[in-house]
Amino acid sequence: MRLMLKIENLSASVGDADAAKGILNGLSLSVPAGEVHAVMGPNGAGKSTLSYVLTGREGYTVTGGAATLDGADLLAMSPETRAAKGLFLSFQYPVEIPGVPVMTFVRTAMNALRKARGEAEISAPDFIRKSRDVAKVLSLDPEMLKRPVNVGFSGGEKKRLEIYQMMMLEPRFMVLDETDSGLDIDALRTVAEGVNALRAPDRGMLVITHYQRLLDYIKPDKVHVLAKGRIIKSGGPELAHRLEAEGYDGVQAEAV
Amino acid sequence: MSTALKDIIRNPTVAELELVARYAAFKADPRRERLFEAFARTGLPGRRVEGWRWTDFKTAVTSLEAPQAAPARDPLAREGTATLRFTPAGYVPPANVPDGLRLVARDDVQAMSGAEAAPLGALAAALSPGTLLADVSAGAPVRLHMVFAGPGAINAARIVFLLRPGAELHVSESHLGGAAFSAALIEFTLNKGARLHRSVYQTGGAVEAQAITALIEQDAGAESVQTVLALGAKIARLETHLVHRETGSKATLNAAYLAGAGLAADITTHVRHGAPACITRQLTKGAVLDGGRGVFQGKFLVPRTSGQQTDATMRHNALLLEEGAEVFAKPELEILADDVQCAHGNTSGALDAAQLFYLRQRGIPLPQARAMLTEAFIAEALEEAGDHQDALRAEAQAWLSNAS
Repeated sequence: MRLMLKIENLSASVGDADAAKGILNGLSLSVPAGEVHAVMGPNGAGKSTLSYVLTGREGYTVTGGAATLDGADLLAMSPETRAAKGLFLSFQYPVEIPGVPVMTFVRTAMNALRKARGEAEISAPDFIRKSRDVAKVLSLDPEMLKRPVNVGFSGGEKKRLEIYQMMMLEPRFMVLDETDSGLDIDALRTVAEGVNALRAPDRGMLVITHYQRLLDYIKPDKVHVLAKGRIIKSGGPELAHRLEAEGYDGVQAEAV
Repeated sequence: MSTALKDIIRNPTVAELELVARYAAFKADPRRERLFEAFARTGLPGRRVEGWRWTDFKTAVTSLEAPQAAPARDPLAREGTATLRFTPAGYVPPANVPDGLRLVARDDVQAMSGAEAAPLGALAAALSPGTLLADVSAGAPVRLHMVFAGPGAINAARIVFLLRPGAELHVSESHLGGAAFSAALIEFTLNKGARLHRSVYQTGGAVEAQAITALIEQDAGAESVQTVLALGAKIARLETHLVHRETGSKATLNAAYLAGAGLAADITTHVRHGAPACITRQLTKGAVLDGGRGVFQGKFLVPRTSGQQTDATMRHNALLLEEGAEVFAKPELEILADDVQCAHGNTSGALDAAQLFYLRQRGIPLPQARAMLTEAFIAEALEEAGDHQDALRAEAQAWLSNAS
């Protein structure tokens, strides 16, 4: 089985050097191609930090360990290069971009990715056709795609728009950070359908979540429990149900 | 006479002496003399003159030698639109004057109201050969394009518009530099119910000085919409004095400035709510690179009796795109009336790190992400430019892609 994402003994801190706070403390996990792994953990475990360190957000310092995607050193790359390698983050809190319509934004991103990969730009008709198809799957109002990115969108609309971008850009490895938060059950189902449609033998996925609920719709191959900046337990899908039943405290106590 | 005037300017610089000589070459005219006096009282205004602290012409204008660089391309030029050109050698009227517009060239000099408050406007008037009067009558909207460009040493221009009751004028101006010192004075009187739509593009080289002064007076129910895109010069001032002088007049004053290394752009406005129930909407947006300077000075004056029921908003937002960028802002609301709605906001800062990361995470390289966010930020100030919005936005875009 070919490994896609490989994280080894990763440590990272947040904040300025003189007031740095360690958040990740020797985290290791691997996701093979074609698999969906879930990372579950209590608040403050380092879930969002993991997603930001993997995607290269400023303000985080890697203090040790390694992270590779298809064998390439992720941590040495700029955020846009990581994206060009196929890494996509569905944000927990998608950012508002006033003045930039969704379609313009996604088309710019798609063409930037294509350019970085040495591919030709997408034609306007092809782009519009694809956008229409994706919007249909996600029950997105096409009017929404003409509005500025996330401006005035509800929490659920923002999350759906993340999945829209994901389906448009067709990344090879996806990190979903608390995609279920702010979604009602219908929206959750729609979003999960979109995500599941992207499952493929050459794709990998890391689903970061606090609750097991999302995993009823996006079935993981493996579940990792993150606490205090490291993976304290890994197992099959049944581990998520145990966490739901016993809480994080039980699993954490057992792991120590 | 010229000796006396020369003495008014304290410690005149070489450039100021040249301006005096230029003035002295005209035949004596008491109105011209008054205008030049209004200028000479401050001389080239510098940091010691109120309102010119951050835009120091005295220091910046060292020479009045014609620059080597040719004037810039004109993005607002339109095939078929009547075009009036102002050059250091004089003006060139349009080949076909549109219906509803009458251009009258007068050899004598017209008086200018508030000359003391606009020394470089007064200078433009004092050094213009005569006065060009433009009379706009009611009927179909009149479209006119004006170009102010070198080559030459000094490009002084003045035009006085009178918009008759119910008249509508769409005027575009391209101030393209190419002269060591360009000074333009553009006056508009809007009679009852008249409408003015003014779009201004300014660009200039790193050795050029430009002063563009507009005086706008509005009667009852008149409406003006002004949009400026300023790319700066060694020193560039775009100054607008607007008076609501009768009830129910409305003004929109929008501007965007983009200043690169070695360039400065100054947007200064003064609005007097001299009649009840008038509306002013002002939005200025700016973006500045390392070594560039942006200045915004906005003033609303709302007198106690005449200014009741004023509705006025002023907003200035600036982006400092790099370390070493400078922005100076002075929003000023002088409100003496009590029954008014006035608001102002003023911010300056860097691009939002969270937005930048979001764009980069989607694969958009940093320089392109910066340009995209900056363009979106600036665009709001160009939204009222009507037919010229796309052209101005394209210029802003080109500037941003060169900057990144």
